[in-house]
Amino acid sequence: MIRFEDASVTYPGGVLALRDLSIEVDAGEFVVIVGLSGAGKSTLIRAVNGLVPLTSGKLQVNGREVTELSRAGMRELRSEVGMIFQGFNLVERTTVLNNVLMGRLHRVPTWRTLLGMYPKADIDIAARALGQVEIIEKAYTRASDLSGGQRQRVGIARALAQEPSIVLADEPVASLDPPTSHVVMRYLQQISRDLGITTIVNLHFLDLATAYADRIIGLRDGMLVFDGPGSACDAQVFEDIYGRSLTADDTMHKQAAL
Amino acid sequence: MTVPTVGIQAPNLPPKPRPSLFAIGGTLAAIAMTIVTARSVGFSFGGIVTNLGRKNSVIEGLLSPDWGQIWSRRSRAPFIETFQLAVLGTATGSLLSLPLALWSTRFGNPNPFTRGILRGFNNVIRSIPDLLWALLFVSAVGIGALPGLLALFFFSLAVTTKLTSDTLDGIDMGPIEAANATGANLSQMLRTAVVPQILPAYSSFVLYNFEINLRASAVLGLVGAGGIGNRIEFFRGRGEWEELWGLVFMFFLVVFVVERISVTLRRRLI
Ligand SMILES: Nc1ncnc2c1ncn2[C@@H]1O[C@H](COP(=O)(O)OP(=O)(O)OP(=O)(O)O)[C@@H](O)[C@H]1O
Ligand SMILES: [Mg+2]
Repeated sequence: MIRFEDASVTYPGGVLALRDLSIEVDAGEFVVIVGLSGAGKSTLIRAVNGLVPLTSGKLQVNGREVTELSRAGMRELRSEVGMIFQGFNLVERTTVLNNVLMGRLHRVPTWRTLLGMYPKADIDIAARALGQVEIIEKAYTRASDLSGGQRQRVGIARALAQEPSIVLADEPVASLDPPTSHVVMRYLQQISRDLGITTIVNLHFLDLATAYADRIIGLRDGMLVFDGPGSACDAQVFEDIYGRSLTADDTMHKQAAL
Repeated sequence: MTVPTVGIQAPNLPPKPRPSLFAIGGTLAAIAMTIVTARSVGFSFGGIVTNLGRKNSVIEGLLSPDWGQIWSRRSRAPFIETFQLAVLGTATGSLLSLPLALWSTRFGNPNPFTRGILRGFNNVIRSIPDLLWALLFVSAVGIGALPGLLALFFFSLAVTTKLTSDTLDGIDMGPIEAANATGANLSQMLRTAVVPQILPAYSSFVLYNFEINLRASAVLGLVGAGGIGNRIEFFRGRGEWEELWGLVFMFFLVVFVVERISVTLRRRLI
């Protein structure tokens, strides 16, 4: 479970990226965060695994106070939280399998990592993760030889290899075309359902959000402006979030048709 | 008057920027410095011509080198020593340079204090030339192969750390973020997210470093730090120029072959 309590983040330079945010995400929920560019979506997601520290307020993740964690405690927390990135963040020069094995690092002794000698059990877990996103045949391909959609599936597999209870995805489909975006979103949804993984996804397009989310959280200027099921996300809500009415730019399909 | 060009008139270029004062001043300073230094070392073209015309046993030796040196048993040992020095110096120095370069980066070493110390150390060893290292260690541990090895170790450390550090400046930070987000520790992050990115370039630097070391090890012997340079110095002292040139040609051949191999290998790495 994730619980923000009056959480605020001010970046060095004075930008208030989150203001007194209080939300609770239950185990197994599939939540999509929407908002304008600069609304604080990435900040919210990165706060969950401590990549961005809170300036004030409280944040509890899986029973831990994130603001009070030691270095080792933070690594422990991060090992339970898988992360998926807009730019995939794969190591291009190495194999898909090596990239996915990164998800096992918290369970693998350092000397084994340094020598590149991963235990069989961890390789099996990585292979299973690759199987879950149906890309196991590419295990020994270099990441640089994959398409964008394939890369993001490897990104998902890396997160899955952590055997996480939470998955965070920061605009996971922003670099992909519409059909590929749907493929990736379906994998995320299916994994969340099958494995009961709490999933938080940042999305740019509202139609994509309503299509996949159990629950949508709208941010504007670092403040919560909407929190409810996708079905409740009407034109009025949209105006609250985006400060204007819906245009073709805001939905993937209308934009793709242009 | 002018040849008519086809089509429309070329657009006017914006006014040409004037050469900067800095460039003019720099050029003038360079010329002035060359003249001043040439005069102070007593350089004159006349001198070169007169000296070349004179009977000169060094040049004569060059014209009839003693090819027997290539097979000579007594030259083989220092040769092998040169090779050993170059290999060992490269292996030890460049092996240590990898962690040193990694720990000198912001992402590889979050502690600004130790990072500053390491960077300072890198800058100091980089500013000491190979021959000075050799002199330093010859006076510290006496003549022989050991000071040569120590000199090449520090020299390699300096060269490969510098080149590797420059490569580290340009790597993709995405994988680092990804590794940190999985809960990896620092060493694990460096090994899985950073090392694969720089490994080809680093291997190429190690090979390049070996080339330089092979050449450098010839000079090291001149100050008593072992290897082929000792033998060259020996012939020089006795005025045996034919033998000296035979040895130098052989060394040149070896360096040439090693360099060709290294260049080919390095091209395949990057
Ligand atoms: N590292 C940083 N340093 C300073 N300011 C930052 C930093 N990261 C983000 N910000 C600022 O904080 C605010 C929120 O940024 P955030 O990245 O969370 O927005 P976002 O909703 O993810 O936007 P986008 O859709 O463009 O990714 C923005 O005004 C941004 O400029
Ligand atoms: Mg963002």
